[in-house]
Amino acid sequence: MDDQGCPRCKTTKYRNPSLKLMVNVCGHTLCESCVDMLFVRGSGSCVQCNTPLRKSNFRVQLFEDPAIDKEVEIRKKVLKIYNKREFDFPTLKEYNDYLEQMEDIVYNLTNNSDVEKTKQMMEQYQRENRDVIQRNKVKLTREQEELEEILLLEQQNIEQRRLETLQEEQRQLQAKRKNKQALLDELESSQLPAALLLAKHKDRASQLETQIEKQKQNVKPTNIFSTGIMMGQTVSLAPVTRVEEVLYVYQPIHIDTYGPPIPELEQLGRLGYLNHVRTASLMDQAGGYTSGLACHRAVQDAFSGLFL
Amino acid sequence: MKLNIDGLLVYFPYDYIYPEQYSYMLELKRTLDAKGHGVLEMPSGTGKTISLLSLIVAYQTTFPLEVTKLIYCSRTVPEIEKVVEELRKLMDYYAKETGAKSNFLALALSSRKNLCIHPEVSSLRFGKEVDGKCHSLTASYIRAQRHSNPAQPVCNFYEEFDSVGRQVPIPSGIYNLDDLKDFGRRKGWCPYFVARYSILHANIVVYSYHYLLDPKIADLVSKELAKKSVVVFDEAHNIDNVCIDSMSVNITRRTLDRSQANVETLQNTINRIKETDAAKLKEEYRRLVEGLKEANVARETDIYLSNPVLPDEILKEAIPGSIRTAEHFVGFMKRFLEYLKSRLRIHHVVQESAPQFLKDIFEKVCIDRKPLRFCAERLRSLLRTLEIADIADFSAITLISHFATLVSTYSKGFTIIIEPFEDRTPTIANPVLHFSCMDPSIAIKPVFGRFQSVIITSGTLSPLDIYPRILDFRPVTVASFTMTLARTCLCPLIVGRGNDQVAMTSKFETREDFAVIRNYGNLLLEMSAIVPDGIVAFFTSYIYMENIVASWYEQAILENIQRNKLIFIETQDAAETSMALEKYQEACENGRGAILLSVARGKVSEGIDFVHHFGRAVIMFGVPYVYTQSRILKARLEYLRDQFQIRENDFLTFDAMRHAAQCVGRAIRGKTDYGLLIFADKRYARADKRGKLPRWIQEHLTDGSLNLTIDETVQLSKHFLRQMAQPFRREDQLGLSLLTLEQLQSEDMLKKIAKIAQQA
Repeated sequence: MDDQGCPRCKTTKYRNPSLKLMVNVCGHTLCESCVDMLFVRGSGSCVQCNTPLRKSNFRVQLFEDPAIDKEVEIRKKVLKIYNKREFDFPTLKEYNDYLEQMEDIVYNLTNNSDVEKTKQMMEQYQRENRDVIQRNKVKLTREQEELEEILLLEQQNIEQRRLETLQEEQRQLQAKRKNKQALLDELESSQLPAALLLAKHKDRASQLETQIEKQKQNVKPTNIFSTGIMMGQTVSLAPVTRVEEVLYVYQPIHIDTYGPPIPELEQLGRLGYLNHVRTASLMDQAGGYTSGLACHRAVQDAFSGLFL
Repeated sequence: MKLNIDGLLVYFPYDYIYPEQYSYMLELKRTLDAKGHGVLEMPSGTGKTISLLSLIVAYQTTFPLEVTKLIYCSRTVPEIEKVVEELRKLMDYYAKETGAKSNFLALALSSRKNLCIHPEVSSLRFGKEVDGKCHSLTASYIRAQRHSNPAQPVCNFYEEFDSVGRQVPIPSGIYNLDDLKDFGRRKGWCPYFVARYSILHANIVVYSYHYLLDPKIADLVSKELAKKSVVVFDEAHNIDNVCIDSMSVNITRRTLDRSQANVETLQNTINRIKETDAAKLKEEYRRLVEGLKEANVARETDIYLSNPVLPDEILKEAIPGSIRTAEHFVGFMKRFLEYLKSRLRIHHVVQESAPQFLKDIFEKVCIDRKPLRFCAERLRSLLRTLEIADIADFSAITLISHFATLVSTYSKGFTIIIEPFEDRTPTIANPVLHFSCMDPSIAIKPVFGRFQSVIITSGTLSPLDIYPRILDFRPVTVASFTMTLARTCLCPLIVGRGNDQVAMTSKFETREDFAVIRNYGNLLLEMSAIVPDGIVAFFTSYIYMENIVASWYEQAILENIQRNKLIFIETQDAAETSMALEKYQEACENGRGAILLSVARGKVSEGIDFVHHFGRAVIMFGVPYVYTQSRILKARLEYLRDQFQIRENDFLTFDAMRHAAQCVGRAIRGKTDYGLLIFADKRYARADKRGKLPRWIQEHLTDGSLNLTIDETVQLSKHFLRQMAQPFRREDQLGLSLLTLEQLQSEDMLKKIAKIAQQA
């Protein structure tokens, strides 16, 4: 750490602990004062690689290896474009291929190989997938969502615990104070000897202690709804996976009557069954009744179960 | 003798038995019958090991289908050897009684360092070097290279084993480490791999905790052990710490620098291979694309790198695309390292949870959770592909990759603490990233889930109910056994005050008090005058010991003590300590008498026994609390409170008391032994502390032995020592604490035995 220094003015962290190293898109370092001096006009070129740079693009170097700073910078840019999620792909394998492709792009850009070609590729990709990129911009990946959830839960727990302990402490304090006051009152008013009262007080105090202990052990906050969903959980909104299943096919029921075949409703008249049945009056027919219905019913009754 | 334990015929290789051993076996039998887990506490020196072995072996022979294997885990190599020797006695007895040679196979397994017989490799001093060298001779690709290049050195012992040894099982018998080596030399086979291979069909395996608990090792060594095994953790009072250590990672600036060098080596190797043998990288790439797992066959010799516990469904998935090619992976590791470096460059302490860390790493260097999870797996694959022989060098990057995998896999039970400097030296920058596991149940869960019965046993497990809670399991038997004694051979005393009535305590506020230090000194001085032979004194920490001894020197207390006995001091240096220990024993041996000043939680308090005249009195100065300001401890306490409803104070006291009991228990190693156990702190007299001592100590703590002054202590001790100095023969014990078979079977003895076990 101490041997890091500015390549231009040769100051090291050891000699000047407050030295601030800056890094730009090309991945070469300069200290803050050199940056101020060289880039007075707001732009200039890198001392080491002659890349044209802007002063506003200088950032404080976070990592020991400036190449990592550069890579992270590039990666963040690439990630903004290549932001497809796992569920945008039909299989895991394709997603993995996609990840690798992205990794390749970052690698090429950081190591300055095929920069032009890669940039073209990126632009093309950006054009082709504009809407997907836009859509995914606001979405987090599922894993990040999970993480956020856990973090939220953690915070809630901590907060809850803090409140609980605070309340508990106050309650205890109050109880103790009350107890003490009671003792003083008793000592004032009671006729009993003081030793007895003191002993009583001690007894009560120890009882109080045990009570508190018990309460402490009993308290176990529920943070689960009766449905099993955690309280305060944000339900993740990833699309539900479609369930593939066989469609329902209707099959007419077959009833075994254990008797001779029953003539159909339409055939009753032809077969002469209706001759023995009272014909329906006009009034009956108004409700949709025909004499065939009753007859059919009676025949069904009569025929079924004959073979048993 | 042959015993009838609840209907089971048990061969016991001795003519006499302690009543508590019988009781212990009864409980153990019940546990095995129920196919559940058990927590059993029995004082050391009462023959735990032989009781365990004889019962389980009997159970195995009677019900060979119920229990197929005994896995006996111990902590150190000498302990492993002791177990094997007991087992040998038992088996000899079996052979004598039944007349037939049994076909039992029992063996001990240890690291390569203890088992290697290769002339060059075994001469190396450190375990890591031996592993690395062995690997460079036996790795699958090295052996493959030999086909094309006969000059490539390989290990002949392994080659021999590989070609012949697998078909022929090792003959039945009892093998300790030396026996295995002998066997290996005779056959020309590598003993280490013979043992590794044979544990699969052995009836009894004796090895170290780590082979089961450390996920990095357990996955390879103990993966295929049958469910119907009985697992025994002996001396398990520290098992939670072992579990935690096996899952925690500490990263210093040095680790990072070495990993940086590793990454550069990797990159250079990749570039070189790309020019010479690009096909190899392509082949690896193809395999990763298809998500194929490496063939299991080749893995046996490549054990140095196994990923920490990962859920199976993740391992089945293919490696994510972003780290599939070698260059991308190296770039990924570089970014990760740089990120860690930037995190270590802080000026104040940071504590965060795993999700927070993941979020931050995504924001800073765009690393997703998924590739991190596969980091260990990917690194292993790369190292194999690059055929890097000298693997010991890559331990740093391996550690980092394990960290990456763990941090992205577990969102609960872990915490990340970054400290810019040590608490004691706030001016020296020495940043450390602790990734610390707070939940011992994570590491031990697979063990409880996988095996039918797990027995946790030790001399000091009190309070018994806390172990099931912190390890998160449900035992079927929880029992504590007392020591039956023909004479009260232990005399615990709690000294609370000096002769000047000033309270003696190592409490933070008063520990530097002159009066306290002087009283401690006087106590030791008085005791040195009346106790014969050896005295062991334990302090709460090295620093405290140094302060006190310096102060004693100024007050000329040391000078006075030295008139009575020689003084030896334990230091943090292992070699120095073992030297001091040796001289201490010499001084006890020739009657000069000696005092050993040592530290609770140190080497002496954990593994060294002071039998008979080596320890006639143990003095525990103060209550050995852990350093409570440590952030890791604080985080763990918080976690225990939230998850298991164990309060901070309960846990701290429990931890302090188990160490105190462990220290004090060093002196009593059997029934003929005797010793004074002096607790020099008034806080021991409190009910909450006293109640957490093991039952066998509590039983002898009467109200008369609490809160004594030094004078009273001297009186009681004199009386006790005079009593103990009377001759004591086996006949005095017989019928009380030592039983023959007939005595054991008598009606009222059985009734008495029923009282020994106390169910928690």
